[in-house]
Amino acid sequence: MTKFARALLFASAGLLALGNAAEAGTVRVTIAEYSKGTGPYFEAAAKAFEAANPGTKIQIEVVPWDNLQQKLTTDISAGANSDLSIIGTRWLLDYVRQGVVAPLDSYVTPEFKGRFIETFLTPSVLDGKVYGLPIAASARAVYYNKDVFAKAGYDTLPATWAEFKTAAEKIKASGSGVFPFGLQGKEIETDVYYYYGLWSEGGEIIKDGKSGLDSPAAIEAAKLYKSFIDGGLTQPGVTSYNREDVQNLFKQGKVATVITAPFLSGQIKKEAPNLNYGVAAIPAGPSGDHGTYGVTDSIVLFANSKVKDEAWKFLDFLFTTDQRVAFDKVEGFLPVNAEEAKNPLFADNADLKVFASLLPKARFAPVIPGWEDIAQTTSNAIQKIYLGQGEIEPTLKEAAAKVNATLSKN
Amino acid sequence: MNRLALPYLLILPSFVLAAAIILWPVGEIVTLAVHDVNRFGMLRGFIGFDNFRELFADPDFFAALWRTLVWTAAVVLGTLVVSTPIALILNEDFYGRSLARVLIMLPWAISLTMTAIVWRWALNGESGMLNSGLRGLGLMNENIQWLAQASTAFPMQILIGILVSIPFTVTIFLGGLSSVPEDLYDAAAIEGAGRWTQFRLITLPLLRPFINIAFVLNTIYVFNSFPIIWATTQGGPANSTDILVTYLYKLGFRLGKLGEASAVSLIMFAILLVFTLIYVRLTMREEAA
Amino acid sequence: MINRRKFIRSLIFWALLAPVIVVILFPYAVMTITALKSATEVHDPNWWPSEWRWQNFPEMWETSGFAPALLNSLYVSGLTTLLTLVVSIPAAYALSRFRFFGRGAFRQFLLVSQMLSPIVLVIGLFRLVASLGLIDNLNILMWVYVAFNIAFCVWMLQSYFSTIPRDLEEAAWMEGAGRARTLIVVFLPLAVPAIVVTAIFTFINAWNEFVIALTMLRREENYTLPIRVFSLVAGRYTVDWNYVMAAAFLASVPVAIIFAWLQRYLVRGLALGAVK
Repeated sequence: MTKFARALLFASAGLLALGNAAEAGTVRVTIAEYSKGTGPYFEAAAKAFEAANPGTKIQIEVVPWDNLQQKLTTDISAGANSDLSIIGTRWLLDYVRQGVVAPLDSYVTPEFKGRFIETFLTPSVLDGKVYGLPIAASARAVYYNKDVFAKAGYDTLPATWAEFKTAAEKIKASGSGVFPFGLQGKEIETDVYYYYGLWSEGGEIIKDGKSGLDSPAAIEAAKLYKSFIDGGLTQPGVTSYNREDVQNLFKQGKVATVITAPFLSGQIKKEAPNLNYGVAAIPAGPSGDHGTYGVTDSIVLFANSKVKDEAWKFLDFLFTTDQRVAFDKVEGFLPVNAEEAKNPLFADNADLKVFASLLPKARFAPVIPGWEDIAQTTSNAIQKIYLGQGEIEPTLKEAAAKVNATLSKN
Repeated sequence: MNRLALPYLLILPSFVLAAAIILWPVGEIVTLAVHDVNRFGMLRGFIGFDNFRELFADPDFFAALWRTLVWTAAVVLGTLVVSTPIALILNEDFYGRSLARVLIMLPWAISLTMTAIVWRWALNGESGMLNSGLRGLGLMNENIQWLAQASTAFPMQILIGILVSIPFTVTIFLGGLSSVPEDLYDAAAIEGAGRWTQFRLITLPLLRPFINIAFVLNTIYVFNSFPIIWATTQGGPANSTDILVTYLYKLGFRLGKLGEASAVSLIMFAILLVFTLIYVRLTMREEAA
Repeated sequence: MINRRKFIRSLIFWALLAPVIVVILFPYAVMTITALKSATEVHDPNWWPSEWRWQNFPEMWETSGFAPALLNSLYVSGLTTLLTLVVSIPAAYALSRFRFFGRGAFRQFLLVSQMLSPIVLVIGLFRLVASLGLIDNLNILMWVYVAFNIAFCVWMLQSYFSTIPRDLEEAAWMEGAGRARTLIVVFLPLAVPAIVVTAIFTFINAWNEFVIALTMLRREENYTLPIRVFSLVAGRYTVDWNYVMAAAFLASVPVAIIFAWLQRYLVRGLALGAVK
């Protein structure tokens, strides 16, 4: 018996003797469900880990994403949370401030850190400490319908918004009934969809500690999108389409573009195999600014976990190249490990190449307290504008004031 | 066995169980409402009525409150009005009655969350089957974007609320109707009373306790009903279809303001309590039993 | 042999019911049709699938862990119904037959137990159950459901019991039958419609309940059906809508069967025969 296994056995016996409620040597992991492949992947990873590490049991608990925050809140409030959990990285700050997650620095060796692509690890590093590991990463780009654009005389997506608008008008004029610009106006990341425009006009979400929503760039961006809506260049009823809905329209060939993450490629292959699509960068603004949104989800270790060592071992295991390749293959995420990025699966994938090339310009959600509040204020304001229920400037100014209030409160 | 103690013994198990699921949670919520609470329900300090004050300063709260009243009244009254004739019909003897009963009750067999999801799916502007169905029947030419704005979304949500409440209400009425003896109708018919008179003088009074149950319980359930509004619009766009329970969900679980969310639930609880106290008072006076 | 009057009556009634039935069944139709579509067609709003993919059902069955969830739901819902009746019948009897102090308060109290929305209730309840170490336990879930359903059952049963004349019981007592025996042999059979309604209500409530189950259950093998079905939808990025609809459809079948079986007892005149 190896030294480690023996130590583990003693530890387990010790825990049992203490009459601990949790099974000794069991690591509970809360997994947020991305697709129906998520659960099976983690179960398989758990089994592989258990086989290599007898004495430790991994209990996978799959939670639908939409309920994750609610479930975590109730669990943590009762002290009944798991040991590891996937969370949206944008929530991490709150978790750290309330002291519910443990820093991983005592476990993270420089070698381990070196496995990662810097851009993806940074959002999980707060106050210089590593609080989470990026388990899922993606960026955003434009999926466009090559056939529709070809008919309008374009063999790739136009590179600026101005040209894009011209192309959109041509598509509309052709009378094919296809809506050129798929615009998301509902639910999560409605604000992000708007930020693509904001960034291309050179604006910032937060600048010098103040909201950028009332800046000239923000107003220009809003005007741009509204002009698309008013000109019939988007699908009608924008505020009833969340991102998944817009993606569905794209798969059905009803809209010609949608801005989303890499997993759409897999969906198209399955649900619309005959769709001739391309992936391109989000159009740039008049001064050449453009950006994409980078997102990571982190896996964190809770401070009240009683099996931290075992949990870390599992984390270590999950972030080996083979495991990462398996996971990203199932879900269609971007590789976070440098080694993994070299894997032909990713390196030769045309779609993923585009996403990867956009990474240097990727902006992540600002890691600030009250971000959810700000996101909701922004989304509400944008929705009002889309619906024509508010004039652009006053609505944005009002939203900026609200955001500033939130910022100063925190 | 002491005769006096008997009724208390009979109600004891139910009392204990009901108390367990109400007293503790209400206690928790009161505690949360008067403290500064972090996102995870950990108390950070007593702050009295500050949470309530924050709430009353938010125009969205009052909008949600008003909308909740409209929502409840519309759904409950709509349900009662529609369910009564349906129950009366299903109480009569006719061919295929069993089938008709099962069909009316079918919506109840699907969980509310799932029903809401299916409706949201069907109400999609471009890919929804409602639009394609209505256009196929020639009832309209262009797609209506049902969920894009409150003016079309909210009435739709009310309609869905009524549709899902019908099976429950009809079943209660059917139960109540079966307590009315056949003889009474026969006797009345012999005395020359028409169907409408029979309904007014025999059915309605005997059905009253059951109508009361349906009214009170429906009001409570509809007032608190989360899935329909949430699955279709999440209270949006821009909070325009929010009712109190979706408002509080966002407050508590998205923004992490559990103290304020608890304050909202207390207010909701208080409203329902006052309502039922008044209503039960009124109806218990009517019920001779 | 068809009774002519009954036939005409039937036609009229069906004509009156038809519009309601169409609207009520609309989501059901959408669900069923989508359940039969292929993955490529799922987003097309056509009412007639180009191919009828019956194999969606067995596929869904295998990939989504439907069977264990089905068994869990049957267990929880069945037991909930039984226990709720066992607890509610005595209480309803007491409220109906006895005048005692606190009678009105008790009735009001039962109503109060319904007033917290599950979303709200869940935090308080969860902490209570967690502190007892009883999370992820189907039996605890079942007891919570029982507690929730008592209010409706007691109210419904009591209202119905009050319509049963006391003479019947008193006659039985005079003949020497004990109180308990009278209750079971004479009284309850007359209350069958009310018992049926409460049984249906409780079973369906327990069958479809979602929020509390989601919060209290952890491991997949403990999941009840609504959680299973919902987990097919709430995956972040990819939803197999045809499987989701197939699962939702199948999940509603047991309930429909139970209702079809029980509704025949919702018949008037049951109490009457005994009086005669």
